[in-house]
Amino acid sequence: MAVTQQSLASRQNRQFLFTFLSLIIPGSSQFLMGRRWRGILLFFSIPILGYIIYWAQIYQKVGLVTIGARTTSWLWVPLVLFWIWNVIDAYRLSAGQVSNTFIGLLLVLVILYVVAWKVTQIKPERLVTRFNEARSVATKLINPDMITITVNGEDRICSWQCMSQYIGDKLAGRPTQGPIRASKTLLDILGRVEKVDAPKWMVRLGLAQAGDQVNSFVAGSLVETIAMGLMATIFSTILAIPISFFAAHNIMSRVPGGNVIYYISRTILNIVRAVDPVVWGLLIIVWVGLGSFAGVIALTIHSLAALAKLYSEEIEHIDPGPVEAVTASGANLIQTLRYAVVPQIVPPFLAYTLLRWDINMRAATVVGFVAGGGIGFFVVETIRMGGYQLYAAALWTVAVVIILVDAISSTWRARILADRPVEPEKKRSSWVKLRTAILILLGVLAFIYCWNISEINIKDMLAPAPTLGSILHDFVTIDLSPNTLAQVVQQMLVTVFQAMLATTLGAIIALPFSFLAARNLTGRSRLSVWIFYLTRGIFNVLRSIEALLYAAIFVFWVGIGPFAGMMALAVTTFALIGKLFSEAIEEIDPGPIEAVTATGANPLQVINYAILPQIVPPFTSYLIYQWDINVRMATIIGFAGGGGIGLMLNTFFGLLQYHKAGTVVVFIVAVVAMMDFASAKLREKLV
Amino acid sequence: MLRVENLTKIYPNGTLALKNVSFEVADGEFMAVIGLSGSGKSTLLRCINRLIEPTSGKIYWDDIDITAAKGAEIRKIRRQIGMVFQQFNLVKRSSVFTNVMSGRLGYLDTIPSLLHIFSAQDRARALANLEQVGLSDKIHVRVDSLSGGQQQRVGIARALMQEPRLMLADEPVASLDPVLAHSILKYLEQLNKERGITVLCSLHFLDLVHRYATRAIALKDGEIVFKGFPQEIDDQQFKAIYGQEAERVSII
Repeated sequence: MAVTQQSLASRQNRQFLFTFLSLIIPGSSQFLMGRRWRGILLFFSIPILGYIIYWAQIYQKVGLVTIGARTTSWLWVPLVLFWIWNVIDAYRLSAGQVSNTFIGLLLVLVILYVVAWKVTQIKPERLVTRFNEARSVATKLINPDMITITVNGEDRICSWQCMSQYIGDKLAGRPTQGPIRASKTLLDILGRVEKVDAPKWMVRLGLAQAGDQVNSFVAGSLVETIAMGLMATIFSTILAIPISFFAAHNIMSRVPGGNVIYYISRTILNIVRAVDPVVWGLLIIVWVGLGSFAGVIALTIHSLAALAKLYSEEIEHIDPGPVEAVTASGANLIQTLRYAVVPQIVPPFLAYTLLRWDINMRAATVVGFVAGGGIGFFVVETIRMGGYQLYAAALWTVAVVIILVDAISSTWRARILADRPVEPEKKRSSWVKLRTAILILLGVLAFIYCWNISEINIKDMLAPAPTLGSILHDFVTIDLSPNTLAQVVQQMLVTVFQAMLATTLGAIIALPFSFLAARNLTGRSRLSVWIFYLTRGIFNVLRSIEALLYAAIFVFWVGIGPFAGMMALAVTTFALIGKLFSEAIEEIDPGPIEAVTATGANPLQVINYAILPQIVPPFTSYLIYQWDINVRMATIIGFAGGGGIGLMLNTFFGLLQYHKAGTVVVFIVAVVAMMDFASAKLREKLV
Repeated sequence: MLRVENLTKIYPNGTLALKNVSFEVADGEFMAVIGLSGSGKSTLLRCINRLIEPTSGKIYWDDIDITAAKGAEIRKIRRQIGMVFQQFNLVKRSSVFTNVMSGRLGYLDTIPSLLHIFSAQDRARALANLEQVGLSDKIHVRVDSLSGGQQQRVGIARALMQEPRLMLADEPVASLDPVLAHSILKYLEQLNKERGITVLCSLHFLDLVHRYATRAIALKDGEIVFKGFPQEIDDQQFKAIYGQEAERVSII
């Protein structure tokens, strides 16, 4: 009896202590009770939220209320409530009760969304008041400048209507309005045959004489883009393979001093990866000048870091069994690598390279915004001229190419990673050998061609502009004056909030569509199959164009600023989240649904008990992932008038203020790396 | 003859895996190593071919000190000692042939072996060894399409490529069902009887030890608690090895 009373008293003491502790230091008692991450999150979130509210109150005038003579922000109320919730949480946990995290989360979200709404300069009324602008831009987008028709000696863009009329006239044998041809824009994009000076190799082979004019295909900006993406993928793969071994823990831990090398390589890779290729482009043009080559280098650097990280993780995950077995048979280190390591890593490496090819092609379409060259450069020029029908032609052709690349890359990846059926390795027939030889020859020719049109010039790399040294010095000695810091922090917050709102908006719109795009829910009737393909098609088309390219549309519609950037990000979010959500729905296990239905539950109960528990964790995980991606994208959306930190970075570069540009890049790296780490940790917890 | 003297292994995290283990294996023996999971059986086998570095103690193989060997010398010793594993340790995506060939690497020059160039003699040897385990028709099949029992037979063929005089088998049948367990152990028995290869094999089930082993040692918490003929393991010995709670079970 005495014992239980004593233990009861000590338990009450403990409860009091923990509750009190969390009142003084938020999160401390949760941490001490073994809920480490909860404690750390609480500890950091209160000062961070406090700073955001303070900043929003002073600089953005968010939520101001006047009480007597003092003006303050009402957002302090949810923060105080959040603090109180933290105390209650500590009390309940120490009493061994279940604590509801929903209220705490809700309070945080209220603060974040109110601030985000204001700083992203959301003006929903503009979507309506400027609807005429939207309609005009939509009409132009739907009728790209691809076909030119000559009516009465005057060239005109041939719209879809004009084209259908032309085809109808032709088929019916009526005279057409006039002759049609591919427009100048289309030729600029795809390429044209022109008279040029005879290239050296033709002269050398005796096919032409020096100074002769010969017909030759001049690549258009889209072909240039394809070449850039391909070259960057090849270069980054070749460079990433050796580097990945330095970043693989299981390899480096066998080498003396290897752990240090491992941490250094991983850190460098993470920093390089955090900077978008477009930002790399800004730095590279200082080095090699504007052009496709700068784009290739920028893409290669970013892709190299991303690939090396993926490769090294793959090396870390190999099965150690074969390594042990081959070592036991007396093989030396090189033989062991060849027989036990290489066969395990080649298929996943190939798959990652194909995935990276897809990503590089997408990035190649926008890297020209700053680096020059490719379709990105073309788009910048058309926007400058306000030629939305020219711009539309670029978007449509990009969509076609990217959808093709996506399809090729994903089928090949699936084929490589699939466990092949039992098939004896037959002697290769001579036809197969011939085909392989032809494919290799074509590959080599394509490589040489791409090398040429992406203007790769090693000489430029080795002899940079003389100012490069001083610029780099400026760039590395970053500006940490309070004024600059305040500016950068402000824009960084805008960027993060922009990404948050874009994720929310895109996901809300995507949710209903994702159910329509889930094969297991749409059923088998003809109509629903059509709906399925239509929704998936919309997702794929919208997904194929980078947010940076969409920004121009929204700048025209709602005006320059973070709102336009947010909308552009929301479109890509809609497409990607829609696809991911619908795939998550397709993976629902029908077993529980059957079981719950068998207990006599009604449909709502079935959804609540059998479907929701299966889709909420993956959905949440994808949302966090998308926010992470959107923060990266938001750092560059300003290059196209979408506001945020990208605009600031572009301005600093334009004004040659490299000190300040350096500060911006450091902040981008820090925030993106933090988001990356946090999102990975959170998703680990969810799965 | 294999002679182990006062072998001790302490892992960097402080775990004492082997404590003063000493025993001898005469040529041509089929020696079973028994004991619970975590008793040190795997560590013991891996110390013998130096996949794991012993902390102290000596291992002699025909009066060669294995524990003193370095670099190329270790590899020369290793190639005479075959090893089969509980998880088979095959490269799943490679063909049966490549996996079997990898057992010959200790004898091959580095450069040709990297280019997959093998002599006709070695190819014939691979085929003969696959015939020995009854898998010559699967020579060009990818390993991941084979069943567990077939994979373990590939593992044996790979070890045979070394032309070993000693065969270490680390729980070779623990991942297989009982019928297959007998088939794999029969192959090992056949090699032991026909080719005179000494076998050192760790096993879980006592009835398998009775059936196949000529001698046995038992480990408990890294120490030898029994040394002798399998038939000598009575109920009292059994409880000493496996603990008071244990019950004798038999498979087939």
